[in-house]
Formats: sequence, C-alpha cells, structure tokens
Amino acid sequence: MFSTILSAAVLGIDAYPVQVEADICDGLPQFSMVGDLAAEVKEAADRVRTALRNNGIAFPAKKVTVNLSPAHIRKEGTRFDLPVAVALLTALGIIPREHTEEILMVGEIGLNGLVRPVSGVLQSVMLAKERGYTACLVPAANVREAASVPGILVIGIQNLQELLECLVSEGIPERYIRKEEFLPEQDVEYQEDFRDVNGQEGVRRAAEIVAAGMHNFLMIGSPGAGKTMIARRIPTILPRLTVEESLEISRVYSACGLLVGEGLAKIRPFRAPHHTISANALAGGGRKILPGEISLATHGVLFLDELPEFSRSALEVLRQPMEEGQVTISRANGKYVFPAHFVLISAMNPCPCGYYPDRDKCRCLPGEISRYLHRVSWPLLDRIDICTETPRVDYQGLTRKGENESSAQIRERVEAARKIQKRRYQGQHWQFNSRIPVSAIPEFCVLGSSEMRIMEAAFERMNLSARAYYRIIRVARTIADLEGEERIRDIHLLEALGYRSVDQNFWDR
Amino acid sequence: MNMEHIYRRNTTDTEEKSIQYIQQKDEAYPEKLYVHKGMPKGLYVLGKLPDPQRPSVAIVGARRSSCYGNETARFFAAELARAGVQIISGMAWGIDGMAHMGALEAGGDTFAVLGCGVDICYPQGNRRLYEQIQKTGGVLSEFAPGIAPKPGHFPARNRIISGLADLVLVIEAKEKSGSLITADFALEQGKDVYAVPGRIGDSLSVGCLGLIRQGAGLADSPQTILSALGISEKQQKPDTKILLAKDENIVYSWIRLQPVCLDELVLKTGWAVGKLMPILVGLELKGCIREVRKNDYVRTGLRITNGEISGDSGVTCKGEDN
Repeated sequence: MFSTILSAAVLGIDAYPVQVEADICDGLPQFSMVGDLAAEVKEAADRVRTALRNNGIAFPAKKVTVNLSPAHIRKEGTRFDLPVAVALLTALGIIPREHTEEILMVGEIGLNGLVRPVSGVLQSVMLAKERGYTACLVPAANVREAASVPGILVIGIQNLQELLECLVSEGIPERYIRKEEFLPEQDVEYQEDFRDVNGQEGVRRAAEIVAAGMHNFLMIGSPGAGKTMIARRIPTILPRLTVEESLEISRVYSACGLLVGEGLAKIRPFRAPHHTISANALAGGGRKILPGEISLATHGVLFLDELPEFSRSALEVLRQPMEEGQVTISRANGKYVFPAHFVLISAMNPCPCGYYPDRDKCRCLPGEISRYLHRVSWPLLDRIDICTETPRVDYQGLTRKGENESSAQIRERVEAARKIQKRRYQGQHWQFNSRIPVSAIPEFCVLGSSEMRIMEAAFERMNLSARAYYRIIRVARTIADLEGEERIRDIHLLEALGYRSVDQNFWDR
Repeated sequence: MNMEHIYRRNTTDTEEKSIQYIQQKDEAYPEKLYVHKGMPKGLYVLGKLPDPQRPSVAIVGARRSSCYGNETARFFAAELARAGVQIISGMAWGIDGMAHMGALEAGGDTFAVLGCGVDICYPQGNRRLYEQIQKTGGVLSEFAPGIAPKPGHFPARNRIISGLADLVLVIEAKEKSGSLITADFALEQGKDVYAVPGRIGDSLSVGCLGLIRQGAGLADSPQTILSALGISEKQQKPDTKILLAKDENIVYSWIRLQPVCLDELVLKTGWAVGKLMPILVGLELKGCIREVRKNDYVRTGLRITNGEISGDSGVTCKGEDN
C-alpha cells in the first residue's frame, strides 16, 4: 500500500512544501527513510514505530520505505514525525486516504504518542493557505500561532489517540478545531513605561526623535545613570505594530521556535545581546541556518550595552543590515535573506572607569580614554544619527514623584510624525527619515538661506564629515515632523546639531 | 629594543633626514641652556629652535587634567601666543597638549621637548599635534632619534623645558607631580614660577596651591604673566562684539569653566530641551561655549572685566555673571 501526506520544511524563515510518501510491501522486515535527511529526521522511524506500538497499533513485519520529496533538498528537525506516522497509518489502511487529503501536518511525536511542539509552524500554515489546502494539523502547543493565519482550518492535537479520533472517522470533532485568532488592534500594555524615568530630559527628547525617525542612537553615560532603563522603554514609544510588521516578526520568532504557545507578536521586540556575542549569533547562521539577534529585533530595538566591549567583527556585521533593512547570509547550502528593520540603541561609558570628566573619581589617562573610545569602529559610529549624554540623576531627581510624561503620550506624537513621513514617502522604497538616500535629500529636506548659513558655519567649526552633514539634515527633518512643520527651520537644524555623534574633536582628543 | 622598533616604524625617512643635531659648540645652541650646568651636549631638533630674541613661557601641568584645567591652559597659551610669546611644553596628555593647542590656534610658535627621540611621537594619540608643532615651531630632544620613551627620561627633559623658558606657568598639579619637578628646575635656574590657583579640596589643586604658598606668582590672568615678562598690554585689537539675544544670554550666564550638562541647564532655565538645544548650538557656533564632552558645555577661555566677557578668537559676548 502506498500513501502521500503533505507537510512542509523550513529553510531559514521560509517554508516550502514537502510530501511524505510511505510504502509498505512484502519483503524482508526493514524500515528505511530516504530523501536527503538529517540524523534527527531519520530517527523518526524509531520514534514513530515505538509510539504506534505503545498506542496499541501493531506494526507489521514488512518492508517499509518512507520518502520525503523533493528528495534533493536537505530536511532537518523533528517536524516530520507526525506526517510519517499518518503516512504509515494510511498505508496500513487504518486511516482512510480521503481523510488526509489537502491537510498539511507537522509535529514531533514522543515514544508514548504525545505530540510535541515544533518551530516554524506559522510559515508552514501560511504556506498551506497559499497553496489552497483546506486544513493544517499541528501540535496543540502550536495551535495559537497557527490560528493567527486567517482563512484556513487549524486542528490541534495532543497525542496519537486524538489524531486517530480526528482522521479515522468522517468529520473532525469540533473540539479539535481552533478558531481563528487574529491580531486585535488594541493598545498593548508594555511592562515598562517612560513614566518611571525621572529627570533625563535630554535623553527623553532624544528618544522621542529616535522613535519618530528610526534614527540609530548612542547614549554615553556613567554606570548607573539609567542607560538600560531608557533603552528598554524605547519600544513602548514606537508606533503600534501593524499587521504586516507583526507577521514578519512572528515568522522570525516562529522559525527560531520562540513562538510556541503564543500567537502573533503583539509588542515590538527588544533584544539586548551580551557583548560577548559572536558575529554569527548577531547576524544569523549556525549549522542550521537561523536568524540572529538583528533579525529577532526586526521592527523593534536592538540594544547594545557597553558598545566598546563588543568584538569588532560582531559590530562590522551590523553595517550592511543597518543600511538595507535585511541581512543576507550565504553558505555552502544556500543563501538566506532575513529581515533586519531594527533601530540600533547603543550605550557606553565615557571612559574605562566610567566617571570621566569627574576628575575626583576618574583616574583614567587621556590616552586610555581615547583608546577606549576608539574601540568602537568608526564606520559604525558614522551610522549613528543621535548621540546624547545620560547624566547621573541626583537624589532629588530620583525620588521626585509624578508629573513624568507617559509612554502613551510620547507615542502619540511619534505616531503623528510617522504619519507625516508615511504620506511624504508614499511610493518610495524607504519609510523613515533616517533612511532617506542622499540623492533624495534635496527633494525632501529643503533648506532656506539662513539654514544653509548655519550648516556652513557648523561644517567649519565642528569639523563635520559629509556623512555627518546628511545625518544632521535627516534628524532635523524628523524634528520638524515632530513639530508638525513642513519646512526644516533653523532651530530644527541647530537642535539636530546638538545630537551629532561623530565629532572628530570628541573622539579624537 | 622591541619598543624602539615599534615606535620607529611610524616615522618616514624624510623626517629622519630633516632632524638637525645642534651641539653646545654651535652658535645656534640656545644660550639660555648654555649658561646652566648639566645641560645636554647637544639637541636634536625637528623644525626650529625657539627664537632667543622673543620671550618664552613654559606651560606645564597634569596629564589627568580637568576641563577647567584644559580650558585655562588653552586660554593662557592662546593669549600669550597672541602677544608674541613662544610656548614651550612637553606634548604630554592633558595640560601640555592643551597649551600647544592653544598656541597653535592663536597662530603662535610653540615648542615641544620630548622624553624620547624627536622622530618618535609620544604619546601616539598626539600625532596631529606633533605634526602641527613641527610646521611652525619645533620638536626638541636631547635623546637621539630612535630612543624610546622611558620613565627616567621625563624628569630629565623637564630641565630643558624650564631652561628654555623665561617663566614657568603651572596649571593643575597633584601633590607629587612632574610639573613640580619642572618648577624646581626653574627655581634653580633662577626663573619665575607662576601657578594658576584651583579650588581647595580638589586633588588637582594641591600642587599649584602649594607653589603659591611657597611664594610662586599667582597667575590669575594672562595679563599677569605678560606684565611679569615686561610686555606692556598694547595693540589690543578691538574686539568684535557679538550681541547675544536675551535667551542666549540667560543660557550663557549659566555656563562656567566647569562643565555643565544639558539636564542641569534644563533644570536651571526651566526650558524644554527642544528650546534649549538650538540656543546651545547657536552659542557654540558663535564660539562662546565649547562642548567638551557629549552634552557637557564650558565657556571658552575668558577674560572677565566688568561683566563684559571676551572669549578667545576676539569674540565678545555680553553676559551677566551671576
């Protein structure tokens, strides 16, 4: 007897269709699995056979062949246990063939017959929907992420008994069908709020500009000044997630197996990798190619604390994704493209001990300070639009109660500025002020004569590079948008100049 | 040996060729050095030697200097250089480097005496300064080219710094500081020593206050130094007055020689960052203040006379001094 079951494999963050074929015929008892399989896929033979026996299904002493087609593409993970089991049961005639048609299945099976969650369910269900299948059979633990895809029937099962209940007889029992659960367009409560931040007026303002224009941000300040606290609150003032953004975030998280038990992403990600992270872990890669931290931070915040402590190779990896909004990973077995639309928030101390320029505390030599600052790669600094100091807050500031602006209030202004940008950049390939290409700056950032004079004076006095020049104009554009002004005015430019980051004089002293 | 190799890699052949060696028997050998005992047999020079006809002042001080010290050093050096004084220092981090920088900014001549061969830039981070000093002034050393900096060299070179100067000005020194060695040499050589006072209680003030207690001159303004050198205050070029707007004036009056951060100004003025920041950058563009560190501001070096404040580069800002 021969049978075919639909399934899907995941490469990178994309799913592609796989057919699981099983054949049982007379011959020497043997169980072989073919089709370019990784070790864990081949182990499915033992898992499935044992699970079936433990659920009271005697496995005949016959020659069994299972093929995963297309046979030339590498298949990894334990997601094929369930389709293999169903294929065998169909080939044995226990499940009628008509009941398995047009149903995509993924899931891992334990020896006792429990169906366990797997990664990449979301994109598999999306693939099923695209291909016009009628239903998806997934582990119960994955049912929420599966149900967030509209327009397809999702069946969640916990063990082989439930599988048999669903497929052996006509009609699937209602209790296994999961209702669609789509992203509700409502306010999502973050745990953090800008209301908790006392003082830090300069950084608050900078954070608002950062969020409004997706500008990369660097905070310089002494230990304990609240750099991490601010960074954690930046996702809370970014605009609410759109459905497309949420789907993209969820696809990445699903591929990494981080969406188990949850539905679509409702909050913007905040990723804060430790400074010992490798370039591969940041960009993505590994034996099984998976998205890295920068992709996990897509549409959210990538926070790099202690920036000078990161290895140079790790930081260099950020440059291309920061510009393109995606990261391309080329390996021997293929090329993978992952999204990386993150905003980079970074923090560092002003000197190795952290207390410069307080000379009563700081014992660092100017040479040590300069060496410390220079550990951060120049090209990376040259991509940071906004830089501020986070001063230490004194006792009065710390214990002051109330009257701080909440994240929701700030977000309202950020969303208004974003709306202006969305309208302005309609039909362009960028969406934010921070991404305006140099060639389009004269069109979208018109400077009057007094503004030109300011830039000329700044260029001379502040030793600006060409890149810095355009960065300042982009930041000024965002400030003007926050004020709701059509034209960039002198005060916007002056304020933007105050946030400039790579000042030759500062870093080179 | 290894170190020397590393340092030497950074110099080019042409640099090596342009180094002159001036011996005691040569006419060019500075007379100011000649008259004292224990001076080197010869000097290696990259650039030129100080002009013996013109007054020269050595400015020395702490390497781990504060912003106040940096600004003061820069300001004194610039003002003295503008009056035609040659500035001599050791090109170290901190005060030394700032003194050279101030002199260069004012278009004056400045001379660096090193504790290593003149072909070696030490500290490495002062490379830009090292190159600029050679262009108009000179880099001098008693050590042959290729000799690496060693801790013992520095106190020895201090006797040349004080020897070449008519007056030694100390800005910020801790209790045990190399600058005090320079001051000791200066006294032995019969030169005047001046010190810029600092606040009591600051560790960086101890050395200077000690010098003043022992009878050193109190350097409260560059004019004091100039009159000590016998240079009358002449050809004061009329300062171009910059009138500050009312808001600018308020912000300016809160900024001192000790760095003030943005948040402090927000508290003091009660203005939003969006209003304050453009004013600060405007003041910065006018040259009235300087951002010494991200969002930390100080006044540029100033003379305060009757509430009229003139900054370097001849800019005058009217600011209330409260």
